[in-house]
Amino acid sequence: MSTSMAAALAATLPATQSNAPTAPAPTASESIPPSMAKYVDIEAEIPITSVQLDGLVVMKIVKHGREAHPAPASGTLVGLDLDGKLEVSNSFPSPAPGEDEERAPKFGAPNPKYEERVLRSLKEVNSDSGVVGFYQTTTMGAFLTQSLVETQASNFEKLRHGGVVVVHDVTQASRGNAALRAFRMTPEFLEAHKKRKFDTQSLIDNRLTFSNILEEVPVVVRSSVLLSAFLSKLTQSPAAPPLPSLGITSTSTLSDSLSPTYSHLDLTSPTHLSRHMESIIDTLDLYKTEEGNLAYLSRQIARERTKADAYTAKRRDENAARVAQGMPPLPEEDVTRLFKIPPEPSRLDSMILLGQLDGYTKSLEASTGSGLVKMYAAQAGSPS
Amino acid sequence: MALGSLSSAIHIQQPSTNTGAPGRTPAKVTVHPVVLFSILDHYLRRPNAEDRVIGTLLGTRTENELEIRDCFAVLHSETSEQVAVDMDYHRAMFDLHKKANPKESIVGWYSTGSDLNTYSALIHNFYSQETSPHQAIHLAIDTGAQEGVESGVKAYVSAPVGVNPKPENALFLPVPTDLQFNEGERSSLSLLSSPPDTSGRTAGPTTELDVLEKSIHDISNMIDRVLTYVRGVLSGEKEGNERIGRYLMDTLCETTESLDKGRLETLFNAHLQDTLMVSYLANLIRSQVEVSSRLTLLT
Repeated sequence: MSTSMAAALAATLPATQSNAPTAPAPTASESIPPSMAKYVDIEAEIPITSVQLDGLVVMKIVKHGREAHPAPASGTLVGLDLDGKLEVSNSFPSPAPGEDEERAPKFGAPNPKYEERVLRSLKEVNSDSGVVGFYQTTTMGAFLTQSLVETQASNFEKLRHGGVVVVHDVTQASRGNAALRAFRMTPEFLEAHKKRKFDTQSLIDNRLTFSNILEEVPVVVRSSVLLSAFLSKLTQSPAAPPLPSLGITSTSTLSDSLSPTYSHLDLTSPTHLSRHMESIIDTLDLYKTEEGNLAYLSRQIARERTKADAYTAKRRDENAARVAQGMPPLPEEDVTRLFKIPPEPSRLDSMILLGQLDGYTKSLEASTGSGLVKMYAAQAGSPS
Repeated sequence: MALGSLSSAIHIQQPSTNTGAPGRTPAKVTVHPVVLFSILDHYLRRPNAEDRVIGTLLGTRTENELEIRDCFAVLHSETSEQVAVDMDYHRAMFDLHKKANPKESIVGWYSTGSDLNTYSALIHNFYSQETSPHQAIHLAIDTGAQEGVESGVKAYVSAPVGVNPKPENALFLPVPTDLQFNEGERSSLSLLSSPPDTSGRTAGPTTELDVLEKSIHDISNMIDRVLTYVRGVLSGEKEGNERIGRYLMDTLCETTESLDKGRLETLFNAHLQDTLMVSYLANLIRSQVEVSSRLTLLT
């Protein structure tokens, strides 16, 4: 059943399945059992309401993020969508930039050849091979980057539902909280991106701010039955207990026996806060520069426009004077040809920087918030 | 963390003339959870006709430790007469993997099921050539899907056996195996193994404060448990265990002794002010950012 579904889905994925001899969609849809027909939408009509990550994917992303740290890591997600739920069943990392400079010129840009070969290999071992999006790791909550936006926008044309991006925060993970969030592009942003226009008018038309470039999709994490069983088995065979049992039938669940660490109870270290603030200051500086550029350009535009206006006004006066004297008026010349009014600068960069700042401050706020709780808890535990 | 059931076997490290020589048996094998997850996933996706799946293990070596960090599935077929492993596929996959993880090399192979047969020896012989001059590792995973077989992970190296060494004859020597993960992965493991909610085996990622709340609840439950026990001992209902008593005493002394009261208070207040200031600044920047982005829309 799953193979026929995959085939049906593959048929609607022309971009990624060019190598495989895919059956045309109508014949594939006939093989879908009627009971499943309402879940499988060939035309991609059911919108995605949630993203389900397999345990394998979670671990792969976390591992890749940790190994690549402090550089961001990215990779491709494969899976399929079923009844509005996007099931991500596997993922593979993208080659890190650097050693393959000429082949992967930009970070985060997918390397189509590599991707295609991995997908073909995955297909051979019965894995899902439909690309549904990509993942990216980030630090300190600032996930909105130029490359993320670019990749996601280019994915939109290739993938069903436009694909999702799963963001993992390495900083939060190191503090004991597996932070995974999924996003997709909003129609407003795509509208503006299609026209490649991010000037003020376009932003106003689409009511675009940094907060509605991406919209969040709820994430659930799922582990297969076999995996849960395996994990529970692993955790139930503890090495010789260091202490005799307290003699209380403990209601210990799985997570208790998996040797719990309480690292997230550690007080937030001041170095972490200061690093966080440093990156905020850096981003603020970048934003300042960007704003300066924008202001310079808009002054330039204003200057040119005044000049042009003055010229037309002068010409009109002259013409009025000539008409009064009974002479034929001079032709109205094309002002735009005489004065080069520069195009209005794109505001995308500054918007993304603002988004980064927002991410930084949000996560800083969260960490100070929990820091306060921990401090009071520590004080309550100390002798008074 | 130990994997599988404990064994009383003694693992003898062969004396070696020069340490770190290639071909030395690793003293310890650590396995990354990702490997286990991938193998189980591969096992779930196997064709119906096959009983076990095999694949290549990738990782890094130190002097006498071996870290298995990743793996990929390899196609193979087993019949009663012959075994075939798709070599081309194995090579192609390794090339691809090399691009994304240049540091990892082939260290061995895995299979599900714990029976070590002639085919295992043959496959192992092939992987020994791939990992040469180092020894190949064989990771046998019991998925626990069969009745009566406990799930667990075992690692082996092979030793030649018999007067004339033949590829199909090998003695598999067990090597101690550990599961290894760091703090970041620990949190996702606990997320995966957290008790399922009503709808099935799903759990959603949580926020930092939620995690904190849960831990504080856990700790308060633990304290309650200890308190009940201590009260029980004091009232004579239970027999006291001196080891528990000493352990509790050590723990309590550790937490209170090192902290000087006056100093603690100063530190607390200073840190409190810092944190509040940072929080205030973060809020301020956030509001400014929000206002700034709205102003762009107005002009």
